[in-house]
Amino acid sequence: MRLIVMLMLACALGQTVGAEPAHGPLVVATWGGVYERSQRAAYFDPYTEATGTPIQTASYSGGLGTLRKRVQGPGDWDVIDMTMADHRRACAEGLLQSYSGEGLMPAPDGTPAERDFIRSAITPCGVAHNLFSTVVAFDEDFFRYTAQPHRIEHLFDTERFPGKRALHKRPDALLEWALLSYGVPVGDLYDLLSTERGLNLAFKRLDEIREHIVWWESPEEAVELLRREDVTFAMGYNGRFFDAAVVQNEPVRIIWDAQVYEFETWGIPRNAAHPERARQFIGYATRTQSLARQTRYIAYGPTRASAIRRVGKHASTGVDMRAHMPSHPLHMERAIRKDVDWYAHTRQHLNERFQVWLAAGDAQ
Amino acid sequence: MASWLNSKLAGGISVGRRALAVSTRGLIMGGVASLAALGFVAAIQWLNDLFWVSPRSRMMATDWPWLPLATIAVLVCGGLIVGLIARYLLPGGQAHGPPEVIETAQDGSNDVDLRTGAGSALSALTSLGAGASVGQYGPLVHLGATMGSLVGRIMPSGQGNAAGLIGIGCGVAAAIATAFSAPIAGVLFAHEVVLRQYSLRAFAPITVAATIGFVLASYVFEHEPLFRIPGAPRVEPAEYGAFILIGIGGAVVATGFMRAILAADELAERTPIPPVLRPATAGALLGILAIWIPDILGIGQQVLRFTIIPEAFGTIELAVLLVAKILATALCLGFGFVGGVFSPALLIGALFGALTGHAAVVLVPGAADSASVYAICGLAAVTSPVIGGPITTILIVFELTRNYVLTTAVMVSVVFANLVSYRIFGRSMFDEVLRRRGCDLSLGRDELMLSHRSIGPHISHEYVHVHPGETIAEARHRIAAADETEGHVIDAEGYYHGTVTLAGLTRAQDDTAAADDDVMSLARHADAILDSNANIWSALAEAEQGTARELPVLDEEGRMIGVIERQQLVGVYRRALFGIRREEHAAP
Repeated sequence: MRLIVMLMLACALGQTVGAEPAHGPLVVATWGGVYERSQRAAYFDPYTEATGTPIQTASYSGGLGTLRKRVQGPGDWDVIDMTMADHRRACAEGLLQSYSGEGLMPAPDGTPAERDFIRSAITPCGVAHNLFSTVVAFDEDFFRYTAQPHRIEHLFDTERFPGKRALHKRPDALLEWALLSYGVPVGDLYDLLSTERGLNLAFKRLDEIREHIVWWESPEEAVELLRREDVTFAMGYNGRFFDAAVVQNEPVRIIWDAQVYEFETWGIPRNAAHPERARQFIGYATRTQSLARQTRYIAYGPTRASAIRRVGKHASTGVDMRAHMPSHPLHMERAIRKDVDWYAHTRQHLNERFQVWLAAGDAQ
Repeated sequence: MASWLNSKLAGGISVGRRALAVSTRGLIMGGVASLAALGFVAAIQWLNDLFWVSPRSRMMATDWPWLPLATIAVLVCGGLIVGLIARYLLPGGQAHGPPEVIETAQDGSNDVDLRTGAGSALSALTSLGAGASVGQYGPLVHLGATMGSLVGRIMPSGQGNAAGLIGIGCGVAAAIATAFSAPIAGVLFAHEVVLRQYSLRAFAPITVAATIGFVLASYVFEHEPLFRIPGAPRVEPAEYGAFILIGIGGAVVATGFMRAILAADELAERTPIPPVLRPATAGALLGILAIWIPDILGIGQQVLRFTIIPEAFGTIELAVLLVAKILATALCLGFGFVGGVFSPALLIGALFGALTGHAAVVLVPGAADSASVYAICGLAAVTSPVIGGPITTILIVFELTRNYVLTTAVMVSVVFANLVSYRIFGRSMFDEVLRRRGCDLSLGRDELMLSHRSIGPHISHEYVHVHPGETIAEARHRIAAADETEGHVIDAEGYYHGTVTLAGLTRAQDDTAAADDDVMSLARHADAILDSNANIWSALAEAEQGTARELPVLDEEGRMIGVIERQQLVGVYRRALFGIRREEHAAP
C-alpha cells in the first residue's frame, strides 16, 4: 500500500516539475506560531525530504492588504495559506491563479480527491485543507472559585465576569457574537447582520465592553495576553488555545459555544515565481497522510473524509485529538459556520463600519 | 366458539383496514401538500436572494449604486407578470386564496380547481419573489387545499363528496404545520378557519396530514421555525391588565389594516389604470418607498425577528414602520399583487406589540423584563382577528415558542382582540371578502349550502294546465278530476298568465252562476313565483309568502316550466340540514 502511494507520489512529482528552474526554496506565506510548527512537522519537512526543495515560510496574518502589494512586485510568495473568506475575495480580485484541483492525490483507498474532500473545499483558486475555529477562551484560574463562563453572552457580561477582553481588531466573529448575545438564532445571524438595524445592535453590544477591550493583531498575542493574565478572556484560534492548555498546561479553557468555524485554504499568488512547484506542493500538503499527520500537532479538523477517520492522538501528550476538534458534536450545538460568501462581498462595508465605530471610541 | 372468534376477527380486520385507509389518505394528502409548501417557500427564498429582496443579498450588493433602481425594476416586472397571469391564465381573472378555500369547503362543492390553484400559486410566487409586501401563508393554504383536493379526486375512498372536503382539510393542515413547524396549530386551523366543524371522520386524517407536514419540515428538511423566544420571560401579575389592553388595541389595528386593504381595493377599481397594469403600478410605488424604508419589502421575516429584541427599534421608528407596512400591504393587495394577509398581520402585530412594549416600560411595573412578550401578544392580537382563528393563533404561539407563560399572556390578548374586532369588523378578513361577494357565513353554512343548490331537480311537471278561453266550469271540472286544488293558466306559447284555485272557481260558479265565463277573469299571479335559476335558499324565502300549495317556476321570459310544492321545499331543507349535521358528526 505504502509503496503504491510512494510510486504515485513519485509520478506526480516527476511529471509536473520541469519548465521552471528547480533551484531555490519554495516560499509559503503562513500564520506562524504553533500552527506553522504543526505544518512544518506534518508536511513541510517531509516535502523537502521527498523532493529536495526546501520550504521557506513568510509571515502572513490575514487580510488582503499585503497580498495586494505583493502581487505588484517580484513574485516572492509561491503559496499562500488564507482563510476561506479572504481566499474567495482574493480569487475574485484576481490576486490568485486559477486552480482546478490538478495535482490533488486520491485517498489511500483509491477514492478520487473530488469525492474525498468535503463539499465546496475545492475552489476556483485553490483547496481548503483544514477547518479551524475562532473561539473565546478564558483564564481558568481567574474564575476558579466563581461560576465559569460557558456561553458567548458571558463575554459581554462584565459584571458577572469581570476583566479585560483580548480581541482581534477586525469585525469578523465579533459581530456574530454581539448579535447572537441578543438571543438571535444562529440560522438567522447573517440575514439579520445584513440590515443596518442588525449591525447597529451588534455595535451597541460591543460598545458596552469597549473600555474592557485589549486589541491584538497577530494570533500568538491572544494566547500570550491570556498567559500573562493581562486579560481574563481572549478570542483566538482554537488550535493555539489547545496548544496552550494541553501541551503547555496553561490554565486556559475554550468556550465552544458560538464557535465560528472556517476553512484554511491554499492558493497561489498571481505572480508566484514557481507556480508548477506550488501546485505540486499543494498536492503533497493535502494528501490524506499529510492532513492526518497535522492533527497530531494541532486541533484543526482535516477537510477530507479519509483524513478525518485517521485523527488520533496528540504527538507529544497522547491526548485524544478528536475531543478537541471544532467538529466534535458537543462543540457544534450553537456553532456558526462563517458565511464566507457574505464576507467576501461585504468586507469593505464592514471594515468601514468597524473603523467608524473604533473612531467613535477614540473620540470619547 | 369458532364463529364468535371469526366474527370478532373479521371486525378487527375491518377496523384495522379502516384505520390504515384513513392514515394512508392523510399521509399522502399531507405529504404532497407539505412538499409543495416546502418547495414554494424555498422558491421564494431563492427568488428573493436572486433579485435583491432578502437583506443578505441587498447587503452583498451594497457597493452597487443601481440597487434602488433594480429593486423598482424587479417589482415592476413582477407586477407585470402577475397582471398577465391574471389576464390570460386565471379563470375569472382572479387569483384565489383562503376565502375561496373556505367557500369551497362550506358550500359543499369540495373541489378546488387545479388550474386556478396552479395559476394562483404561480402569481403568488411571482409577487413574493419580487418582494411585494404580501403574505406567504395564504397562498400556502390555497396550494395545500389544491393538492389535498387533487389527491382526494385521484384516490378512491368510497366517501363520495366528503373525500374532497377531507382532502382540503388535510392539505390546509399540512401546509400550516409545515410553514410554522406547528402540527397542532395546523389541525386547528383546518377545523377552525376552513371546515368550521370538528367531526371525528375529518379529524383523524387531518391530524395525520399535519403530523407528516411537521415531520417533513422539521426533521427531513430541517426548516427553521419562524421565531423562537430565548429563555423564559418573567411576567408580573399587573401585566395581564396590559395584555387585555393590547388585545383591544390589536383589534383596532387589525380592523384598520383590513379596512385599508378593502379601501385600496375600491380605490384600484376607481382608478383609470387597466387591471393588467395595476400590480406594476403598485410595484413601482413600493420600490420607491423602499428606498427610505427597505423593511417593508417582502415578507419581512428579519424585521419580525427584530421586534422581539427590545433594543432594536426606537419608538418613532416603530410607529413609522407600523403605518408604512399597513399602507404597503394594502397597496400591494388592493392593486392586484397576489398573496396573503397572514404574514403581514404577524409583522404589523409584532410592531404594534413592540410599540406598546415601549409604552409599558414607563407605565407598567415589571414590563422591562418582558418586552418580547409584548411583541408576541401584539402579533397574536392583530393576527387572530384577521384570520378569524383565535385558537389557531394561540397554538401557533405555543408551538413556536414552547413557552407556557407567554402562551397564557397571548391567550388573554387574543380573546379580547377577537371580541372587539367581531363587533367592529366581523369574523375575519376572509369572511368579509366572501360577504362582499354575497356569501355570508356569519350564521353558519346552511344558507351557503342551500344557495349553491338549484331548485332544478325538484321541479315537477305534474300540474293542471288551464288554457285561456276555457270556461270556469271546465277548469273546475278538470282540476277536481285531477284531485288537485290549483290550476295554472298558460297560453299556446307557454306564457304563464296566473293561477286559479279550486275554491275560487267553485265560489265564482256558485255566486254568479257564470260557469261559462272565461277562466282568465279569475286568474291571479301567484304570491310566490320562482325563477328557474333560483336556488333552494331563495326559494325558501319566496315560499314564506302566500299560502298556495304549489309555486310556479317560470323561465326568464315568463314561460311556465313547472311547479314546486311548498311541502317539498321543506323536505329539501330538512334533508340539507340533516346532511350538514351528519357531516359535522361523522364518525371515522
